[in-house]
Amino acid sequence: MIRDKRLIALVSIILFFVSTNSFSESQPVVPEHIEGAVIVSAEELIKLVYSNSKLLIVDSRKKSEFLKGHIEGAVNIVDTEISRNVLEKNLSSKSSAVLFYCNGPRCMRSSNSIYKALDWGYQNIFWFRGGWHEWSSKKLPVVLGGQ
Amino acid sequence: MVLKKITSCIRWPVIFMRVESFSIKQITIAIFLMIGIAAIVLSLFAGGYFRKAALDAQVKSLSRVIEVATEEKLKEVRKNTFNLGMEIGNNRELQEIIKQSQEGGADQLVSILDDPFVSGFVGFSELSLQKIRLFNIDLELIAESSKGISISGGSLSEYLQQLLLQRYGVDRLKAQDSLWLEKSKPLLSTVVPIGGLHIVGYVEVVIDPVLNLSDISQITQTPVSVFSTNGRALSLTQSDVSSYLPVSYTLLTSQGDAAFRIIGYENVSHLNSEMQVTQIVTTSGFLLLTLSVLLFALWLFKIFLLQPMKNLIGSMEQMAGGQLDLEVNEKGLKEFSILATSFNTMSDQVRIRSQALHETQERLLHLLDLDDSAILFFAESDELLYCNKGAIKLFGYDRAEMFEFELSEFFTEGSVKVLQDAGLTHNFQTPLECMTYSGEVLKTEALISALTASGESGFAIVLRGAQHTSKQVGKESGTDIPLQDVERSLRRILEIASNNPGVLLGDDSAVPVKSDDKSGKDKAVLRQQVVSVMNLSLEVWEHDLNRSKLALAEESKIWPVYIDKSTPTTRTLDKYLQLDSCPKNPRCQRVIDTAEYVLKQMDQQTAGQQKLIQALNQLRDSIAGVQ
Repeated sequence: MIRDKRLIALVSIILFFVSTNSFSESQPVVPEHIEGAVIVSAEELIKLVYSNSKLLIVDSRKKSEFLKGHIEGAVNIVDTEISRNVLEKNLSSKSSAVLFYCNGPRCMRSSNSIYKALDWGYQNIFWFRGGWHEWSSKKLPVVLGGQ
Repeated sequence: MVLKKITSCIRWPVIFMRVESFSIKQITIAIFLMIGIAAIVLSLFAGGYFRKAALDAQVKSLSRVIEVATEEKLKEVRKNTFNLGMEIGNNRELQEIIKQSQEGGADQLVSILDDPFVSGFVGFSELSLQKIRLFNIDLELIAESSKGISISGGSLSEYLQQLLLQRYGVDRLKAQDSLWLEKSKPLLSTVVPIGGLHIVGYVEVVIDPVLNLSDISQITQTPVSVFSTNGRALSLTQSDVSSYLPVSYTLLTSQGDAAFRIIGYENVSHLNSEMQVTQIVTTSGFLLLTLSVLLFALWLFKIFLLQPMKNLIGSMEQMAGGQLDLEVNEKGLKEFSILATSFNTMSDQVRIRSQALHETQERLLHLLDLDDSAILFFAESDELLYCNKGAIKLFGYDRAEMFEFELSEFFTEGSVKVLQDAGLTHNFQTPLECMTYSGEVLKTEALISALTASGESGFAIVLRGAQHTSKQVGKESGTDIPLQDVERSLRRILEIASNNPGVLLGDDSAVPVKSDDKSGKDKAVLRQQVVSVMNLSLEVWEHDLNRSKLALAEESKIWPVYIDKSTPTTRTLDKYLQLDSCPKNPRCQRVIDTAEYVLKQMDQQTAGQQKLIQALNQLRDSIAGVQ
């Protein structure tokens, strides 16, 4: 009886380690760069806004996060809800400039959206990889709520 | 200088003069005690130092905690001011008024800026809003809220002004904070751009951070008070902090001036009690360690130093007392082994020399005894130091008796006068009248020789050709032993007597030896008791038994009776009746025998008898003590 219990405990420990190991391996990793997308900083983003009035800024975060504060002129399209149609409504052509951002380097939402946009043939894609974390830490202007 | 003064004050010679009164054991104990005391004092000092160090560390630690907590709190504040500033800055109406620079728009602006004071805003309760001001892109004041405090100057603080003017491009879009002093009152300003990415001006939100700083205690978990730089209390803790350790942290403005003095109070009672326990344990430990080391060291000292030294000293004392056949154990530490070996060698040499001296002495004595002449040797004090068999035969006393007498008891007054007048500084020959045991006066021819050896002086008398007084002794023409030989022999004996008082002549009992002060005092007491017993005996004899002194000497046969000019005298007995004439080494047994003889004659108890018994007992006790 005691031997059985010991065996169960041993197997449990092994399973625990295997499961935690596989979990850590399966965690998604934000890519350093995405082929076909240009990574920009906060300052470069502002310059893009100044230089291109038709630039579409897509905030890929959840709506609640968007309402707490977002970059001026950004539209909230969550990565799970983005579609060809939504993009086509906001962009005049496949070569129109579009910028994606989410919470920051550990957020996958913007990169997911970029992969989709690339699949759909969009060619002028910018990625603000630093995202909201970089923007707010630089104390740059934000728009609160749904303004 | 001070050290020199102290050393000059210490009377080193006095210390070193008294050093012989201390034993090694005492010095060792004193040294170890000093080490122990020093260790305890050091532990106390170290305990105090560690406590101070611990408190300093605690102060530094808490000071750092307060600093971090303050930063954290100000970060929260800035977040709220930033949000408020953004909210105002995103106001379309406000942006339009600024863009168009509308005339009469100032009232609208003031109204917009007063709105947060009136209607509140998100985080209103967490901020102590003091003022809201609007600046154009060139940082000129456009409008300010009518609510709140009045800020002089109409411009941003000097620091903010300089900082914002130095910025270009995208940097101008960034919000900026500053803690600054307005008439010695610290204020926190957050300047936020108006118009989002298309900047048209700046809004400054001014707050009083004291409200937020008092909340630091929630982070530090200690009572906190906030004071202005001039010591005015801005926020006081409600806790009783009288027994707490105050830790101060000064919050600086953006320009580096002191803005607030924040004091956190640390409860150090636990630390104090812990330190106290540590100190007690440490001190006790040191004390125990010192005692243990002291006992162990003393034990080692006893085995390896004190005991061997005691043995050596004991052996030396025994040797000094005359016991020459001693051997000290040579097993021990190196130094003691060497010392013991040297001692044993010295002991052997002393023994050999002493034996040689004895042999020489015996040979000389034998030589002197061979002659029929009576040879006597007196010290300068007229005390008899030596007599040969011829002298004993001539005078008729036994050897022990001879040494009780002085010069005047061997010779008539006339002869003594002759000797004294001669001065005894040279050798000469003269007739002398001798008084024998039987009371006869014999006329002899005497050779007198003055002798000096090793600082001792005396004189030798060689008597030859004894005749009764009726018969004059003729001048000796020749001797069997030349006077020079006698002189030489006696000088040698005198020399031995000087250097080896304990071994003179091989007859310890008969020879007076030099005594120390103590035994000298004892002998003085003994002489007094002897005289007392003799006087009491005579008193009882004469008064209670009604007998004469002469009868006592004749009947007891203890004391000789002399016939001096046909008159019987008790010259020897008389000597014992007065302290001045009592011999230096009195014949105590003779005195005791006299007292016992008298007591034996008594058939009834008298007061005199009681006194005599008492004196006799005291004498016996003294003899036992002296011996």
